Amino acid sequence: MSERIYDIANMAEFYQQAAEKFGTLPAFAIREKALKWNPVSYYDLYEQGINLATGLIELGVEARDHVGIFSDNRFEWILSDYAVQFCGAADVPRGHDVSDEELFYIMEHADIRVTFVENKAIQDRILGFRDRLPLLREIIMLNPKSQPAEGIKTIQEVILLGKELRQQGDRRVEERIDGIQPDDLFTLIYTSGTTGQPKGVMLTHSNMISQIRNLPVHHNCTDRVLSILPVWHIFERLIEMYTISFGGCTYYSSVQTLADDMRAVEPTFMASAPRLWENMYQRILKGVKASHPVRRVLFNIAYFLSRQYKTSQYFITNKYLKIHRQPLWRHLLILPFHIIRRVIVMPWYGFFNAAVLERIRLSAGGSLKMTISGGGALPNEVDRFFNFIGIEVLEGYGMTESTPVISVRSGNNLVVGTVGPPIPETEVRIIDPDTNEVLFPNAKFPHNGKSKRGEICVRGPQVMKGYYRNPELTKLTLRNGWLHTGDLGMITYNDCLKILGRSKATIVLSSGENVEPEPIEMRLQQSQFIDHCMVVGQDKKFLNALIVPVLDEFRQNGVEVQSFKDLANNTEAQKIIRDEIKKMTESNNGFKRYEQIRDFRLLTDPFQVGHELTNLYKIKRHVVEQKYNHVITELTEKTAKNKN
Amino acid sequence: MDFDTQLLYGYDKIMLALMIFVIMLGMGASLRVEDFKAVIRKPRGVFIGFLSQFGLMPFIAFTLATVLNFHPAFAISLILIGCLPGGTTSNMFAYFSRGNVALSISMTTASTLMALIMMPLLLKLYTVKFTNQLTASMQATGSKAEFVIPTGNIISSLALVLVPVALGMIIRRKSRDWAKATEDTAGFVGIIVILYLIATAFIRHGKLFMQTPVEIYVGALGLGLMGFFFGYYFSRLFGMYPLFQRAISLETGIQNGPIAFAIILLSFQEPVQSQMLWLAILYSTFIVITSSIITLLYRKYGKFDWDVYRNTIIHNRLFGKDYITNYPKGFLPGRLVNDPSQDTEPAQKRK
Repeated sequence: MSERIYDIANMAEFYQQAAEKFGTLPAFAIREKALKWNPVSYYDLYEQGINLATGLIELGVEARDHVGIFSDNRFEWILSDYAVQFCGAADVPRGHDVSDEELFYIMEHADIRVTFVENKAIQDRILGFRDRLPLLREIIMLNPKSQPAEGIKTIQEVILLGKELRQQGDRRVEERIDGIQPDDLFTLIYTSGTTGQPKGVMLTHSNMISQIRNLPVHHNCTDRVLSILPVWHIFERLIEMYTISFGGCTYYSSVQTLADDMRAVEPTFMASAPRLWENMYQRILKGVKASHPVRRVLFNIAYFLSRQYKTSQYFITNKYLKIHRQPLWRHLLILPFHIIRRVIVMPWYGFFNAAVLERIRLSAGGSLKMTISGGGALPNEVDRFFNFIGIEVLEGYGMTESTPVISVRSGNNLVVGTVGPPIPETEVRIIDPDTNEVLFPNAKFPHNGKSKRGEICVRGPQVMKGYYRNPELTKLTLRNGWLHTGDLGMITYNDCLKILGRSKATIVLSSGENVEPEPIEMRLQQSQFIDHCMVVGQDKKFLNALIVPVLDEFRQNGVEVQSFKDLANNTEAQKIIRDEIKKMTESNNGFKRYEQIRDFRLLTDPFQVGHELTNLYKIKRHVVEQKYNHVITELTEKTAKNKN
Repeated sequence: MDFDTQLLYGYDKIMLALMIFVIMLGMGASLRVEDFKAVIRKPRGVFIGFLSQFGLMPFIAFTLATVLNFHPAFAISLILIGCLPGGTTSNMFAYFSRGNVALSISMTTASTLMALIMMPLLLKLYTVKFTNQLTASMQATGSKAEFVIPTGNIISSLALVLVPVALGMIIRRKSRDWAKATEDTAGFVGIIVILYLIATAFIRHGKLFMQTPVEIYVGALGLGLMGFFFGYYFSRLFGMYPLFQRAISLETGIQNGPIAFAIILLSFQEPVQSQMLWLAILYSTFIVITSSIITLLYRKYGKFDWDVYRNTIIHNRLFGKDYITNYPKGFLPGRLVNDPSQDTEPAQKRK
């Protein structure tokens, strides 16, 4: 009954077909106040986009130009993107949180000649360094309420200019659309890189189209999608494109109004970062704790039953985390137990699900069929919680370089604890990060190398063209068509991908901040008391450190200890290290707030070459992480508690 | 079948009376004066529901009792159940089956009031044959008595049952929180008491289950199922949309069990009382199971039209009352083309 659009040559054609197919259905809705939103139909968006594109061509935008869109989510953003695609150009998006340096770097590096800016603030920042950008010709203001500076056009002016030209028979847009090659850039996204300078990820029309084609979730034009992530983030961008492909409506929400908007819009689908699900999880638990004792007991019974029911169901349908191989006889032996449990629990679960869990689901809008989480790892307990209370959270895995989805748990392949199987047309390999040997798939190993840990490499139609004007880095990341993700993972026995951490050092905090641990570690190791240290905090709120102290140094400073063990428990030593860390990572030493170390542990065994250290005394992060896994968990739990 | 055992002892009856009180109180607490006004404002759906509830259901009950050749006491009980108004359980099931909750509530309120007139009339009409049989059998044993349906008693028991409903409505007016608590408690009490009745029947009169003839089970099970089935297609005859069909279907099949208990306890005596109660217990048990299954089915098959309906509701809520959602040609099946949601209230959320 519902059909999606994915059989297209390029994104401009995609927008065209959406207008033809979905006509007056609302494509985007913009919030005016709680219960007043303004819809823009697919057809209107297309019309305005064509006019704006004609205006842009008149202003000198050439095919394959890079047009900047420096703005956060708003209707004019998507309109600008429509126009840029209709011009046969590519956009370079970024939000307001970009620093001046980065903004300048991006504009210069991408040869931006025409750019859209959201408001006066960004306009003024660009005007500040305009003389250093000789190529920059036009700046166009998106927000109709902002006062543009002299020489700066408003988007309305450009649309009007294009409209007049169209009426006079200007058909340059059609020529441009015909001229787009599948391999042309659709967007050029700059991500913060390890070397400090942002990297321009080149994504093509065929990259994006392959993603729309291969996403395994199914919706139709009655669906409502609430948008909360920044649209210049490729994950949100894909979700918006995906929504257009089935004729749904995207409702632009914001962090401040999210709770209200969820009730007003009753979204059926939503994409977000793990942070939102964590917050929602905390809020629901808090609500349960504050409720009447009877209600609390009912909730606990309902949750318990749901857990029993779903666990058995996952077992029966073979959708549970299988890290180790499960012999068939064992599966068959346990199977009857799960079948019996499921049957016994079912009526009770049915009742409590209807009477208790439905109310909780209503607080999330009530119509939410499924949600998708990406842009970081979802904590296990949050993941399980939502699946047990009946809101499916599909966790996905990917990166900007892969447009971004590599794998996702789909509704009928929901294995909690994994990021699902790779999406169609996508090959995944696991390789040994030290020797580059292929671990999966490799017939040499039992079961083709399943459950072997290594770096995840990906090949498929979504893999980027390369980094813009950075052939060295491109060669390093893309080898023989294989994208080296820098993440560690494994393939489970039910063919799902499980992420285990990062082989690259970069730590992504749950707030989304990228932290390079090495400079912090180098700085800390300058202390006379610290021999080695490793900063941890992937997907957590704060950074913590594992520290190998210098025993003699403490003795010389009057701390009476015999061994590392004594030292680890010595409060005086703890204090010395704490002060050292504080002194070393002070913000006037150039460390940002999120780069501060929240807590640490003194290790009782020094790092050894061949084990924790390479021959060049570099820390093998994955080895340390595995060995001190319990310490790291303890640390993060402790700091999380202190925060609350 | 011989039914010489007394089904309920004194304190069971007291418990049952308490439960009826609590459930009716809960029912009242879930109703608003608004719901009565809504019936007057949009009488069409409620009228079709009325025909289905008081036209179809008693007839189904009568036919079943006749075809299955019921003992008169069971027959009268089945017909009594068939003539009952709807209960609040049906509103919950309507919600989960993606039916129109507003209509379900309107039908419950309307039928509860109408029952005061309709029940005595319908009982008289359909039970003549069976009361005559009873009288005949009683006279055969030498008694001069005649069995008559205690119409006056039934009306007064019904009126008595409506007292806690009115009380519940007053509670709701006074305090939303108390109303909510009352509603929740009533839900649980209902389930627990049905379980208790079944369990005691099992323990005290285990043989009863074996003694009960198969046709009694068929009747108790069939009444609800046939109500669902005919309610669904009967309302379709009148051009109702699936959303309303589901509500009417469930409302027709699910009767207000507690009222049956109240009437049987207050208006009938042994030797028929226990038999009548037994059938009412069986019906109440089966209806919970069958309506759960039906609800799951409706939920599955009603997903599409429900999605269309919700989307339109939300478009009108956010984009203005006059906003018209035009789906691509061929997207909506013929029956849904005239938007089913037009001219209905948002059904899901009640403030």
